[in-house]
Amino acid sequence: MVELNRRAAIALLGLGIAGTAFSWPRLTGGDIPGRGDDALTVALFGTAQDAAARQSLVDGFQKLHPDIPVRIIAVQGQDWGNFFAKILTMVAAGTPPDIVSVATEGTQLFAERLAHPIDEYVRRDAAELQEYFDDVNPSLIESFMYKGSLFQLPDNFNAANVFYNASALERAGLERPRDDWSVDDFFTVARTMQTSAPGSFLPYYWNNRLWGGVVPWLYINDTSFLTEEKASGGDWLWSQFYPNETPRGGGYLWQNADALSERTIESFEVLQSMVGEGIAANPAQGGGNELVSLFSRGSVGMTAAGGYWVKGLNDAGMANDEYDVTFFPKMRGQRHQFGAGGYAMMQTSERKDEAWEWMKYCISVEGMSIAHQQPDSSLPRRSLNAELYGAGVGPAHWEVFYDTLDRFPDTGPMPAPPQQAAVESALIKNVVSTITNGPSGVRRGLETMQRDLEIALKGR
Amino acid sequence: MTVQTALPAPTTRSVVVPDGAPTRGRAPRGNRLLVWVFLAPTVIGLGLFSFVPIIGSFVLAFFRWDIISAPEFIGVGNFVELASNPTVRVSFLNTISFVAVAVTLQLGVALLLAILVQSRMPEWLRTFFRSALFFPLVLSAASVSLVMSYLFNQEFGLVNQILGVFGIGDIGWLTTGFGAKVVVLLVYVWQNFGFTFLLFIGGLAAIPREVYEASSLDGAHGWSQFRHVTLPLVSPTMLVASVMAIIGALQIFDQPYVLTRGGPGDETRTAVMVIYESAFQQLDFGLASAIGIVLTVLIIVVTAIQFQLSKRFVFYG
Amino acid sequence: MSITSPSIAPVSETRAITAPHSTPPAPVRGSRRGLATAGKYAVLTVAAFLTLAPVVWTLITALTPADVETGQANVGLGAFVDVFQKIPVLLYVWNSALVTLLIAAGQMLSAAMAGYVFARFDFRGKRLLFGLILATMMVPMQVTIVPVFMLIRGMGLADTLLALIVPMIPTAFGTFLMRQYFIGLPPELAEAAQIDGAGPWKTFFGIYLPLAAPGLAIVGILAFNYHWNEFFRPLILTISEQNFTLPLGLVTLQGNLGTGSVSTVLAGVVLSMIPAALVFVFGQKPLREGLTAGVSK
Repeated sequence: MVELNRRAAIALLGLGIAGTAFSWPRLTGGDIPGRGDDALTVALFGTAQDAAARQSLVDGFQKLHPDIPVRIIAVQGQDWGNFFAKILTMVAAGTPPDIVSVATEGTQLFAERLAHPIDEYVRRDAAELQEYFDDVNPSLIESFMYKGSLFQLPDNFNAANVFYNASALERAGLERPRDDWSVDDFFTVARTMQTSAPGSFLPYYWNNRLWGGVVPWLYINDTSFLTEEKASGGDWLWSQFYPNETPRGGGYLWQNADALSERTIESFEVLQSMVGEGIAANPAQGGGNELVSLFSRGSVGMTAAGGYWVKGLNDAGMANDEYDVTFFPKMRGQRHQFGAGGYAMMQTSERKDEAWEWMKYCISVEGMSIAHQQPDSSLPRRSLNAELYGAGVGPAHWEVFYDTLDRFPDTGPMPAPPQQAAVESALIKNVVSTITNGPSGVRRGLETMQRDLEIALKGR
Repeated sequence: MTVQTALPAPTTRSVVVPDGAPTRGRAPRGNRLLVWVFLAPTVIGLGLFSFVPIIGSFVLAFFRWDIISAPEFIGVGNFVELASNPTVRVSFLNTISFVAVAVTLQLGVALLLAILVQSRMPEWLRTFFRSALFFPLVLSAASVSLVMSYLFNQEFGLVNQILGVFGIGDIGWLTTGFGAKVVVLLVYVWQNFGFTFLLFIGGLAAIPREVYEASSLDGAHGWSQFRHVTLPLVSPTMLVASVMAIIGALQIFDQPYVLTRGGPGDETRTAVMVIYESAFQQLDFGLASAIGIVLTVLIIVVTAIQFQLSKRFVFYG
Repeated sequence: MSITSPSIAPVSETRAITAPHSTPPAPVRGSRRGLATAGKYAVLTVAAFLTLAPVVWTLITALTPADVETGQANVGLGAFVDVFQKIPVLLYVWNSALVTLLIAAGQMLSAAMAGYVFARFDFRGKRLLFGLILATMMVPMQVTIVPVFMLIRGMGLADTLLALIVPMIPTAFGTFLMRQYFIGLPPELAEAAQIDGAGPWKTFFGIYLPLAAPGLAIVGILAFNYHWNEFFRPLILTISEQNFTLPLGLVTLQGNLGTGSVSTVLAGVVLSMIPAALVFVFGQKPLREGLTAGVSK
């Protein structure tokens, strides 16, 4: 029985009041240095970069701009959706950040509603920026254009490649696949891996999500689940910075659902037969956390992943010669899929000039190297990847990460229109029923997907 | 023993005022001051942080608002939209069927285990069982769901490996509609039955031993004793337990969000998930508020029905 | 299976046992009774196993991280060291502790006062007010989080731990529970106190509040338990990293697109379980007794 006599109660109360008084600075945030300063506020997705790297980034920036105080807001969340919920709440409460790190998933949403185009700044500092564009594949730049304007400068990206377990391939008695291997070759590798593997083993494991889920299999068949067009405009950028390239227009437009095209059905049939045959996983939604550990334990033969995996595998204790990376196999073509990230400037910001300086610093050689001291994603600057992956940390064929862009110029971002969240949900939620109900289930599943995509794109 | 509960529903039951309490309007000055001082923190606090936001979201339900631009009045447009939206409809049906199964399971399992734990056994064993069964309650739903998603993985999860030993093939726990529903349900009940279990232990312990002895002398044993003695005497606890279990289960979010994201298809999408998705993913805060209001009305109606039914079934000794 | 006649054992020593421990009524058929007892233990053992197994698996996985050199799983505390290296655990624990303890204390006090008034006084509009208070329990948090954030900002509490604490101090459920509890206490005590010349304040603080300690314990323990594990509200309401609570910090361990090591993630989960488990060990008894007295009166 809890005995509460008066003396104990008074002592407890006193203790509580004293404790509260003692921690008052903590409760009011008064102990946070630089709080309440009028500073350039940068919101970034906290799990993507560790705190130490962020601090060195701020220090490096302030060496150049001692007059611009910077405040970093690192948002922790399981996914892009969590991050976005936080940014929206800040906007609603009248405290939007000045600048936000945005991945491909959110680029068009931000461009449509929240972000300020940076065309004028890019034009103004063209001379200074030329070396950056020279070092960056134009596909990445193009993915950050929307309706003729540029909104972000890529400071990290991840193309979806095939990671494979070296000893699983060895056990199967196979050589590294050729760069232009076919889907049939892929099946052969998977089947041979399976028959030669001991214990519980899956030749191809994947997650049902927008990045690296079904999209790579659609892209290599020159198809998608939405129609893909290019907006007009953008010539100002291409003629200035990429004079030797064919102009690429003003950015992607994904305006209509296209889940029932012949090629889309064909790609899904490939996945269906893999799952049906038991050489590929039946992907669950959500989750995705166990994939790295399964792969590093050797339970998985192949999976779709990108440069960000190198750090994950390294942390999980997998040596860099135990796995390697190659391209996705070829169907009608060999177009790959990537996601990119960079900062977007908020329309509401009253510090746009300072925000621009921050954006420029983060794409400079120094800024990009500081932000990514560990291989937690591939870098848009071609020149920096050797340092990141080539020093015995990355797999033998780490060049594949960047070659994906250089070798296949049609490689592009996964479809992410302004209604990205609704579209992603409409895609993801119908994938499983499409590929797990036998060959006849594919069309039925895609019909529902088409319906849901149309609702999502309607966007009220 | 009586439970007097004021209802959120406007009924005309008179509240029993405990003897000795001053009657209306006759409170001495000191008492009146005490009443208002004591109520102030709760009333002002809930007013500010619950009622104002609730009224705000009620108003918002008649607008279209994406947070970024100014709200636009659209009358009942959001309610029309939610009535015609297949995902919203499915998620409400999921929620209702989920509540029915989860609450039944939760109450049944908790009552059975509480009766067993309270039956005659060595004290150390009783303490062990009681502690073990109550433990999941102190864990976070998000962490539990994360752990369970590892355990129920189709190809490599421990659950399927154990079933494999018994020759049961790979079950798509998180990848088939039925499997996902079962896992979300199991994980939810696993985490939450402990609270109901504790309530029942309290309710059973309050039953005087003489009642059982008397009924035994009358020849009641086993089932008949349970049916005619235990059940009626534990019914007030059952009421409180079921009201709380239903209110909780109607707001389920963490488990399906972490385990399945509402999939496959919309099989495990729940009402609160749709509210979250409409607001923070589709930037439709008006629609989210409208769905929230429908859910709130549903919760209030269900609770009111429970109290009405309780008048018939709950036995106050 | 049939349920044996449950000879209900007294839960607490404080409960007066009027009848001496009588021998159980003679079994109808001995073998059946033995079977029933075996069945009872079997059911309880299975239930306890199913409850504890996932927790044990989490512990084992956290204690057997993969070795960075060999990739082999080895028993060790490596994963826990990893957690401390990756996130400022102590700061987050301190934040979580401040938030949960102050919420718990605030709820205990405010709920006790409001519950007392609802149980023992009568005033105009009482039923309506109580109904409205209960109704607030029925609104999902996801619906009101944006207006709440705007209010907090208006009060100048944005980006402080107080933003997490203050809105949660008033509690509908706690008020309901304490009201039940005070209803169960004999009203004669107040009369006796009045005769002794104690005013209403003294009656509450001197007599009723100490007697309501078990009820207070429940409110406090449930508040601690709920807010220690809370994720969504802190995610939305905190801005600076220095104000993160432990569940937010744990997300970092999952890594970019879920590349974190499972052992490290689970080590974080285990660390966050420790305080909750302590509360569970020390809070079980008051919780049980409080619920006994509060709900089934």
